[in-house]
Amino acid sequence: MLPATAAALAVLAALLAWPVPALLARARWPRRDPLVALVCWQAIGLAGGLSMIGALLVHGLAPWGHSLPEAAWSVLTGDAAEDPVRGDHWVTLTLAGVLAVELVGVLVLSWVRTARTRRRHRELLEVVVRPAAVPDARLLEHPAPVAFCIPGARPLLVLSSGIVAELDEAQLAAVVAHERAHLREHHHLYLLPFVAWEAALPVLPAAARAHAAVRTLVEMRADDVALRSLDGAAPRRTLAQAIVAAAGGGGGAEVPSGALAVAGGAVRARVVRLLEPPSPLPGWARWLALLAAGLLLLAPTALLLLPVL
Amino acid sequence: MASLGELERAVMDRLWSAGGSVSAGDLRDGLADRGLALTTVHTVLTRLEQKGFVVHDDARPRRFRPRATREEHAAELMHEVLGQAGDRQAVLARFVGGVDAEEARLLRELLAGGPPA
Repeated sequence: MLPATAAALAVLAALLAWPVPALLARARWPRRDPLVALVCWQAIGLAGGLSMIGALLVHGLAPWGHSLPEAAWSVLTGDAAEDPVRGDHWVTLTLAGVLAVELVGVLVLSWVRTARTRRRHRELLEVVVRPAAVPDARLLEHPAPVAFCIPGARPLLVLSSGIVAELDEAQLAAVVAHERAHLREHHHLYLLPFVAWEAALPVLPAAARAHAAVRTLVEMRADDVALRSLDGAAPRRTLAQAIVAAAGGGGGAEVPSGALAVAGGAVRARVVRLLEPPSPLPGWARWLALLAAGLLLLAPTALLLLPVL
Repeated sequence: MASLGELERAVMDRLWSAGGSVSAGDLRDGLADRGLALTTVHTVLTRLEQKGFVVHDDARPRRFRPRATREEHAAELMHEVLGQAGDRQAVLARFVGGVDAEEARLLRELLAGGPPA
């Protein structure tokens, strides 16, 4: 019998499915420290999945033992249940299984599909691009001002001839530094679970909200990392100029504008943040946020593993 | 030994600058400094044909020409790579997406120190 544990996990799952992501998405502090905010989002995603599946599992396995490890062991060794097994136990067990398979399955599928698309795009691009003046970057002959990188074992950093023509040397260096930051910190891995889970749980509004927030934070983080490597009088202004030029010149029908453009405000938030930098998060606040993220992960883990409350 | 990707690029550069159809033998001779075997050139051409960069006339199966210009391929690729699939699945990291005219005006105002939006 594990009613208190199952209830606690269910409450945690409900909190993480709606109010907590809503609060974090609306909070002002993440733009002051995108990296800490990204850690918090990962913790919310992981703890949310864990408590959702955990609540179902704990309830379903209740007849077999007093803690989840004990109950799971009795089931695996084929011991008879200590208490009568009712219909709702089977229903929650089935749901737990379906949910776990779906979340993990979609993640794996998304990974495989993304990797395949990346490889195909890289193979096609490699035929058309030429070496650019910037080291490690490739030039794609196209008038629209576009820059992007394809992450992976052999990353590809592409600049359009349009962006090279539009930006001055310092601005171009800022663009390249931003893209290199994405590659060096493997930002695509931060995004992957949120992309996958938005696809897996379309009914959960928090999934879409989390995905959008993480996307914006990853861009802000890349801006921050890029600024560190830039010299010149006003690197923040240089990067902001590059963003405005690339965003404004890319409109029209020449190239697809991308999902971020639909959000619109995300680009503006980046520019505002560069021009009027918010004060960095004080040390204690950083540690508090990281501690909260740690506790968030610890809570469902402890509830799952410890004997019944 | 150069990578296949690099060879493909070299062959396409030749085909694009030739401005007509070229035989595999001519391509090998044109890339003589690389010391390629004719079979290698054929392998590269086959791969390029599969990727949709190269076509050959049915009447003259040994001569190859580019399916489209470099600029046309670049435009097609730009659409495919930056299209829906690339964006939604985080296949790539784009510096910044395009915004509509109104938003672009707001951004320029911000940069000029105008009233914050």
